[in-house]
Amino acid sequence: MKFLKSVQPIHLVLVLLLVIAGITAFVLMSEPPVDATGVPHESIAGLSVGGDGAAKLATIGKAPFYFQIAVILLAGTLLYMGVAPHKRDNTLRLFFAAGTAFALFVWVMLFTGYEHYILTGETRVVFGFPMPTNWMLWGIWGSFAAFDLFYVIFFRRYFFTPDEEAEFDALVEELKSEQGDA
Amino acid sequence: MEELRQPIILGCVAAYMGLCIWVGIWAMRRTKSAGDFFVAGRGLGPVVVSLAVFSSTLSGFGFVGGPGLVYATGMSSIWMAVCSALGYATGFYLVAKRIRMVAEVRDTMSLPDVVFARYGSETARLLTAGTILLGVLGYLATQILAMALVLQSILSATEMFADISLLASVVISSAVLIFYCVTGGILASVYTDLVQGIVMIVAGALVVITAASVFDGGFAEATNIMLANDGEDIMPFGTLGTMASLSWYFLFGLGLAGQPHVATKMMMNRSLSDNRVILPMTVLGYVVAAMLWVSIGVIMRALVIGDIALPLGAADEAAPAFLSTYAHPLLAGIVFAGLFAAIMSTADGFLNIGAAAIIHDIPKAIRGRSLNNELFWARTATIVLSVVAAGIALYSDKLVGLLGAFGWGTFAAALVPVVLIGLNWKGATARGAVVAIASSLAINFAIQLWQIQIPYKMSGGFLAMLTSMILFIVVSMMEKQKPLPDDIDRVMDL
Repeated sequence: MKFLKSVQPIHLVLVLLLVIAGITAFVLMSEPPVDATGVPHESIAGLSVGGDGAAKLATIGKAPFYFQIAVILLAGTLLYMGVAPHKRDNTLRLFFAAGTAFALFVWVMLFTGYEHYILTGETRVVFGFPMPTNWMLWGIWGSFAAFDLFYVIFFRRYFFTPDEEAEFDALVEELKSEQGDA
Repeated sequence: MEELRQPIILGCVAAYMGLCIWVGIWAMRRTKSAGDFFVAGRGLGPVVVSLAVFSSTLSGFGFVGGPGLVYATGMSSIWMAVCSALGYATGFYLVAKRIRMVAEVRDTMSLPDVVFARYGSETARLLTAGTILLGVLGYLATQILAMALVLQSILSATEMFADISLLASVVISSAVLIFYCVTGGILASVYTDLVQGIVMIVAGALVVITAASVFDGGFAEATNIMLANDGEDIMPFGTLGTMASLSWYFLFGLGLAGQPHVATKMMMNRSLSDNRVILPMTVLGYVVAAMLWVSIGVIMRALVIGDIALPLGAADEAAPAFLSTYAHPLLAGIVFAGLFAAIMSTADGFLNIGAAAIIHDIPKAIRGRSLNNELFWARTATIVLSVVAAGIALYSDKLVGLLGAFGWGTFAAALVPVVLIGLNWKGATARGAVVAIASSLAINFAIQLWQIQIPYKMSGGFLAMLTSMILFIVVSMMEKQKPLPDDIDRVMDL
């Protein structure tokens, strides 16, 4: 318990960066399939096609899935660092937990939808795009747009409180008078 | 109407450039000091700042290179755009408040000034300024080249300028850019950004509507064509695959707040409370404008793959080809003006921070004080920087490629740990900052110089940024924390 209390967000950031580095090293060391990054279109110059999606993941398996989970957790932790420690109350923690969980849910839906497609070749087209692509276009963007919205709504509670404004104005005045004295 | 297509496009572009010149003259009368020239006296309103932040982020790459990438590789590059909500969130949660506070208590004019205030290290200031200068030269050269190529393609379609050279196009387009940047400094830059941002939003929205009507079945029909031919291209990772896409998400999502031309604009708002309004306006502006990137790319790829249109000579022709074939002449005119707006709004920001690095930051780091008569030298440096960048753009293809690729990744890798983490963690040290910047420069340069091919086409900038972030934290943790100056310590408590 004492150990857990001594853990700061920066420690979590470092651990997550090391996890991302570990997954990246694993991917870099694995043997890429021939068409890992697409193949040239057979008749149209300058255009590439994806080829066999399942074969692309053959040597790295679920590494991209875990990579992005670590990136989402890292993003959430970094944003959490942006709120001064003395203002981090339970409401804030609840929002960050829910917001990060939502971002993870979106990612799981996107990746499992993509896996389903590469295994079966089937997907639903919704709002003009395949379902996994919709999760990317709207879900990935929207999951962090929720953090933007939180900033707007709770600006005066967590990001720039009236007390802070007064404190900052006092600091500026103090520095001005010091300069004046000098 | 169709026969008037070229005159309408030319008219829109000429009107836009005329507006930029007028803003330059207007701003010149309000620019009386180096502080006015570099940070607009920290007196800008929320609408101006939000449009300036978003339009600086979305350069000509988003309007030309982006659709070209979607045409060539499907949805892979869209990860650079869908990360914008995260990118701006990190910018406003972690940077916007602190950088503005430091700017006020230390009267800073540039990002290297802020780095010095935070770490008290002239080496960190010098490395930050050097990084900015290197990145700016590359970015600026690519922007000038893009601007000239677009102007050449528009003018060469007319009888009068059919044989216009690239050199003449560089001179005309750079002259407008230099004029308003030299006369009005950052004030002209942000007010032209305001115009440019509005043009980009209008262009983005209208293009989506146009693109949706190219096929009777809208985007669903385009999607079905791609699903029937390949399928991977319209799925979320495009043809380049998962790791390339996700490394871009990391680099662009977490790296946005480290872009000096974006972070510097966060120092310019009149009131800190305005951040509450600036963030949503910035995010929405970017999203609408970036829709052009997705919609043109998808439609052009579906048209070519479905044998409805002829293949393009080069991927970057996707946007011009779409506009000249499917867009109403007036829309084509607005979008071409929007294209210039996207390029110029990024280029003017680079000119400003590059000039600050030359006449303010580097002299301060080396001899302890900046140049006398900073305003005069700022204007001179702006001209010199533009001419050098134009020269690189015209005469050194290799250097443009090298420095251009160096741009975003270098800024993100070098500055994210130092600024984004450093302004929110008192344990960060000067040595950590120096090691992070130096390592990121070394990795980015090595990858570019030796043309190292990274497996799965992962971004080199991502590898550099990941390494520099880890080194920054580890080196800082290994050192004993030194007390911060009282004013910075108090700012970091707020």
